[in-house]
Amino acid sequence: MIKKRLVAAVAIATLAPLTLAACGGGGGSNGAGSNSSSSETVESLTVLDYYTDEPGKSNIDAQLQKCGTTVGVAKVDHQSVPGPTLIQKVLQQASSKTLPDVLMLDNPDIQQIAEAGALAPLGDFAINADGYAPGPVSAATYDGQLYGLQPGANTLAIFYHKDVLAKAGVQPPKTWAELKTAAKKLTSGKQYGFAFNATADYEGAWQFLPPMWTNGGDETDLKSPQVAEALQLWKDLVDDGSVSKSAVNWKQSDVNDQFIAGKAAMMLNGPWQIPSLQKAKVNFGVVPFPINKPDQTSIAPLGGEAWTVPETGNDAKKAKAAELVKCMNTDDNQMLRAKQGGLVPTKVALYEQYKTEVPSMAGFTDAVATARARTGKLGAKWPDTAKVIYTGMQLVLTGQAAPADAMAKAGAS
Amino acid sequence: MSDAEVLTATEPTAPSSDTAPARRSGRRGEEIAKILFVVPAALTIIALFGYPVVKNLVMSFQNYTLRTFINGKAPWVGLQNYVAVVTDEVFTKAVVNTAVFTIASIVGQFVIGMLLALFFHKNFPLHGVLRALFLLPWLLPLIVGSAAWRAILEQDSGILNVTLENLGIIDTPIPWLTSPDVALIAIILVNIWLGIPFNLTLLYSGLQDIPDELYEAGALDGATGWKAFWHITWPNLHAVVSITLMLGVIYTLKVIDIILGLTQGGPANATQTIATQSYQRSFVEFKFGQGAALSNILILISLVFAIVYLRATRRRVDE
Amino acid sequence: MVIHQQRLAARQTRRGLRTAIAIVLLALMLFPVYWMLNISLQASGGTLPSSFFPPHPSLAGYTIAIEDQGQNLVTSLLIAVGTVVLTLVIATPCAYALAQFRFRWISWALLVILISQMIPGIVIANALYTLYENIGLLNSIPGLIIANAANAVPFGILIMRSFMLGVPTSIVEAARVDGAGLVRSFLSIVVPISRNSLITVGLFAFLFAWSDFIFALTLTTEGNITPVTLGVYTYLGAHISNWSAVMATAMLASIPAIILLVVAQKYIAAGATGGAVK
Repeated sequence: MIKKRLVAAVAIATLAPLTLAACGGGGGSNGAGSNSSSSETVESLTVLDYYTDEPGKSNIDAQLQKCGTTVGVAKVDHQSVPGPTLIQKVLQQASSKTLPDVLMLDNPDIQQIAEAGALAPLGDFAINADGYAPGPVSAATYDGQLYGLQPGANTLAIFYHKDVLAKAGVQPPKTWAELKTAAKKLTSGKQYGFAFNATADYEGAWQFLPPMWTNGGDETDLKSPQVAEALQLWKDLVDDGSVSKSAVNWKQSDVNDQFIAGKAAMMLNGPWQIPSLQKAKVNFGVVPFPINKPDQTSIAPLGGEAWTVPETGNDAKKAKAAELVKCMNTDDNQMLRAKQGGLVPTKVALYEQYKTEVPSMAGFTDAVATARARTGKLGAKWPDTAKVIYTGMQLVLTGQAAPADAMAKAGAS
Repeated sequence: MSDAEVLTATEPTAPSSDTAPARRSGRRGEEIAKILFVVPAALTIIALFGYPVVKNLVMSFQNYTLRTFINGKAPWVGLQNYVAVVTDEVFTKAVVNTAVFTIASIVGQFVIGMLLALFFHKNFPLHGVLRALFLLPWLLPLIVGSAAWRAILEQDSGILNVTLENLGIIDTPIPWLTSPDVALIAIILVNIWLGIPFNLTLLYSGLQDIPDELYEAGALDGATGWKAFWHITWPNLHAVVSITLMLGVIYTLKVIDIILGLTQGGPANATQTIATQSYQRSFVEFKFGQGAALSNILILISLVFAIVYLRATRRRVDE
Repeated sequence: MVIHQQRLAARQTRRGLRTAIAIVLLALMLFPVYWMLNISLQASGGTLPSSFFPPHPSLAGYTIAIEDQGQNLVTSLLIAVGTVVLTLVIATPCAYALAQFRFRWISWALLVILISQMIPGIVIANALYTLYENIGLLNSIPGLIIANAANAVPFGILIMRSFMLGVPTSIVEAARVDGAGLVRSFLSIVVPISRNSLITVGLFAFLFAWSDFIFALTLTTEGNITPVTLGVYTYLGAHISNWSAVMATAMLASIPAIILLVVAQKYIAAGATGGAVK
């Protein structure tokens, strides 16, 4: 008798946390329904990003606090989470209706998050991206509306050891043929001619885009011969020993380590590595990714993060958040961010000034002006295509498929 | 030898039956007290695990996407997710990899753990400190561990290949993480390394619980060395061995961090397991319904092992 | 006498030999940890040490780690120790009950406990976030202690139960006949006898909580509570990583923890049940 009653009591007691948990996930507990008028004063704003490492975190924080004062907010709560976990955090916050007021997103993620309905269009706050380079605009535009403003951008280019190339009598390559011969010639002893990242993740896909796009290949048609030729380039470089087979396992930071250690004469990487190259006193030069045929132009993918305004349901806060986003994108803030973060400003008007003030970034500045957004054509469907790209690339590099049918084998439609 | 039989797992004896009323209410109080032993744990487990199990199950029958996190809508799609993941071309390879990875890891971890536990069972100087130091790998965050292992296993300049070449054991560097054929072996070896402290500690504690008198009595009968192990150690260790293997299997089936840290499931899906596929479906491709379906398949596989284990222990206790 | 001394000497040599072999085995096992040490002494911050011994050892990583991570270390220790206490308090009585009491539903209970171990950690963390959000336990050390303990309890029950199956009921019966209540006999007889399994479970509860990343990440939203597993990300950016600082942090953080573990291990003495029956 007692046992039955006890069991019942225990059952009821344990249902309580279940119902609590169930309640939290569904209907709006805070924020979703409330609509405050825009004339309310906003005390504080929450900001979420993935700038966890120093000095980046402090630099961004200083900018955010200053902008907070500028737009008239007493406090800016700035939280940074590890890079790979940002989206998970955003999803948790979305389902519990606790999204931050300002959210940083890596540019290829913007359209997916916007499609899910989590972001507010910046047009609602009279913000536009006039005067920005085309890449950042197309990355942040979904369904005709602008959802993010990106203050700084980076991209990929070829770094090379000036002394090593001079000693070997090799010029920095301008064409694919030159790349192959240069890499072969520079491979001797423990030194490989060239290094790139070909891992089975979005980083590997990103690094494959320079050859793919430069050769005229397109992400909407992966089975085309232009893409196959790009695969062939990667394959040739590995097959003739100019690039280590470890490329399938190297992250971009590993590629950089190899380059600094003198184990690679050239590498495909981005300007965020420059501080470590300068610290290691490497005498390096930068050239854009080579072209294959004479009438082509070098196209590199757009990197960098944008500031967005999530749909929190609180109009007053959203308006203030939009002002903060706009403040982070002023000319001065763009220049500051670029200089501190090894990026290139995204406003075209700033380029001449930037190239004069930071000559080492001149090459990257030109590249960013023409850099292409990964989500420009596929929008929210990009991640699926990226998966096909890196799978196909790895099939080729591990010898399991020929360039002609690797993408098909990887699931290209 | 008869002492040993007496001192193995004894079955709990039933409380003595008594018909006096005072004893009956005392027995009722005892029944309540007995339940209370279990209540805090039961509440904790149901509060923490009840909702995730149910949610995971339900999610596997829904079309759960990024949008669902915003508007809470997840349309019911029945078995569609399961069909999608099972017919995916990587699924067969993931299943095979999961089987190979789990069996090889468990065998390796258990055997090495057992041998080490037996080795440390004797009293020699520093044996406590040295044994505790075997737990050091577990104190280091997995991201640190996988970075170190990637550096060690690097094909050209990793210290493992360099050492093997210097010792003349190999001529060309082994493509540990870069060859589809070798990568699975590499992650199995790293996983065995990770699992040794777990097995060592549990089995050692189990060994410590075996009374010395059993060995002394056995030695008088001439049972030493291998015979002592087979007739005294192994039977007395049965319960600890079972739970160690059981939990080892369940935990190994779930492993993702070390695989993703070392190879991201590559090269070319060579090291994908059901667990890594589940994670990638959910948190990289945002197809949460499919990710949940895969993790439920994994739970089903674990359940089979669990039921086997429960049958085996129940039979043992009833003997 | 001479033979006795010879035997003693022989045994001591054997023991010394065992110690030597143990050190070699440990060295093999801990080689990756040595490699982390090697990386932590690199000046470059990369993971590519070129030789067995760092050519130009640099303590830069350690200086950074010491400056930044002191508070995080304390946080990790608090959470881990709290987890041990809470886990043992909840799991030990339950383990004993499932080992020695005759409930009809023991197999079902064990099945439920085993199933709980099959759930991926991230699924649990996500569900827990919603729960904590509602009851206000986010961003709190007690919250993390409860989460880690709840995670370790099923494991604790299963392990301790396996050990407690071997506790002779005759001892407990004897105490009950003498008039001791259920709880009293549990506390004064069963718990001391099960010392080995309690310490073992305590060790693992500590290790699970110490190396936990997913709960620390999910259940904190303000960045004011960062155990070491989260703290290392100060040096791991989205694009750039300072691995020597990361490794230095990991090494430094493990020192107090390993001291605790060494001390605890000493208490796993042999033959706890021996002599009790007599």
